[in-house]
Amino acid sequence: MAVVPLQAVFRGDFVTLLVLVDDEDTMEVVADKIAYHVINRRLPPQDAAMRVQYNHRVLSPDQTVSQAGILPMSFVEVFYDARERSHAGMDCRSFPRHPLER
Amino acid sequence: MPKLERSEWYDLSRDMNWQFKYVRDTEVFPEALSESKGIPPQAWWNWDEPYKISYRDYVKNQAEKESGVYSVRSALARSGFFDNLDPGWKAAIIAHYGVFAMPEYLATFGEARMGRFGRAAAWRNMALFGTLDEIRHSQLQFSFPHALLNREPRFDWAHKAFHTNQWGAIALRHLFDDMLTANDAVSMAIQLTFVIETGFTNLHFLGLAADAMETGDVEFSTLISSIQTDEARHAQQGEPTLRLLMEHGKKAEAQRLIDVMFWRGWRAFALLTGPAMDYYTPLAHRRLSFKEFMLEWIIKQFNDQFRDFGLERPWYWDLFLQELDWLHHALHLGLWFKRPTLWWNPDAGVSVEEREWLEAKYPGWHDRFGTYWHTIAENLRQGNVGLTHQETLLVVCNMCQITVCSPAVGAPPRQVIHDGRVYTFCSEPCQWIFEQNPARYAGHLSIIDRFLAGHIQPPDMAGLLAYMGLSPAEQGTDAMNYSWAFELPQAAVKSVA
Repeated sequence: MAVVPLQAVFRGDFVTLLVLVDDEDTMEVVADKIAYHVINRRLPPQDAAMRVQYNHRVLSPDQTVSQAGILPMSFVEVFYDARERSHAGMDCRSFPRHPLER
Repeated sequence: MPKLERSEWYDLSRDMNWQFKYVRDTEVFPEALSESKGIPPQAWWNWDEPYKISYRDYVKNQAEKESGVYSVRSALARSGFFDNLDPGWKAAIIAHYGVFAMPEYLATFGEARMGRFGRAAAWRNMALFGTLDEIRHSQLQFSFPHALLNREPRFDWAHKAFHTNQWGAIALRHLFDDMLTANDAVSMAIQLTFVIETGFTNLHFLGLAADAMETGDVEFSTLISSIQTDEARHAQQGEPTLRLLMEHGKKAEAQRLIDVMFWRGWRAFALLTGPAMDYYTPLAHRRLSFKEFMLEWIIKQFNDQFRDFGLERPWYWDLFLQELDWLHHALHLGLWFKRPTLWWNPDAGVSVEEREWLEAKYPGWHDRFGTYWHTIAENLRQGNVGLTHQETLLVVCNMCQITVCSPAVGAPPRQVIHDGRVYTFCSEPCQWIFEQNPARYAGHLSIIDRFLAGHIQPPDMAGLLAYMGLSPAEQGTDAMNYSWAFELPQAAVKSVA
């Protein structure tokens, strides 16, 4: 168990947040921890699963922070996936890159 | 015996330049403090400025200015004018004093450094007046808010802000150390007087004084006007310095100095002046939007100067123009969300009428920012005030120390590893400035770095607010007490009527 600080954005929000997660947190938990600071505060909730994108790759919801190799202060983006509500382990190629992503 | 005209004696009495025989030039003007840029010592003796004021005239003029501004204050002190000001305008001036009073004092160090290490007597003479100007400006901007302490205790932040670890104060110290207290004379003449004073604050103060008068704040208007007349004079140190650099083939170096400080000035301007103009100033008294002011005054003047001096626009110019449409709106939203970390009460500035004005001035504002405010207003109407606060830190840039805005409206943060440490930058220019001189900036810890290093205890929002020096009574709240969230749209009002 170790705290991992992340730089996080929820897609559609305006700002980068510092969010503390645990290295054993799954991506589902990571997404919840980030969404806590955004959803219902600035963005409305959606009836869709949340996904975590890291290094241009969408991570499996059951993958942990340490398994994904996410380092402290890494940048992650969370987004609602309107097409996939329960499917895990998606290939990033199935997702278009964010238009403003480098 | 007839008196000589000033033009017949001024240059002779002022230009006490000579060649050193008993000491080396580098001992009198160490490069770290003076920075010759390789220009020969005697070439600097051609430095000249247009004001050519004598000490006698200076003292006479300044005494008259002081008399004028203090008499206005005395007259208004009995009027209770402050109580009648718009809450948004109060926010703007409480923020202003905390932001500007101490930097005016720091500017005395900067001017004094040019007064000692400037390479020409004419320049040192001008900088001496500049030093005295900045002492006056800091005294005025400590004295005026001090007189209002019985109306609003947070005017204390005019003096207090820079002695705290409030996040904005950290950002401002970083900027003003770079520009003033840790800068050499030549770089300062370019970066402080040419870029910031001539380019930004001189014009900003003209507009601010007019806005203050329009809003009914005669005291603040008089104060700012008085300061602006000094700025217009001592800011003239930049142009002759720049001209010398250009004449001696130092265009690239001059351009670099300008590009660095124009960007740094822009970030601070967007954070502080943008919200003040487009959200805090009462709608009825807004003459120009922040973008219009930037385009019609700041950018026009810079364009003219770049052309006149044979300089190029900064390499990031297109990015800068794009940011005029959104950056200060995002920063304002961030300021409002973390209002307990401010020493003023930010005015959300998003009543129905104000939103219409914002959409008219910034087409697309509704879709880009109005939706956030819609959710916020709904939370307030439902009594969910807690959801209108931020419960974690917003990431800040390791250069400008200002909030990093997200891919929704800008670019993702840029991360660079330097000597094993990860640095985060809000933008390509901030990263570029760092990479120009990493040794100058690498040791600084942002508020995020301090939090992660354990400097802030307990490591939660209460610990953070205590670290920033903000007691519950000092923490900012909404200037209008959220009344804007409960107003009915005009259409609904008409139908009810």
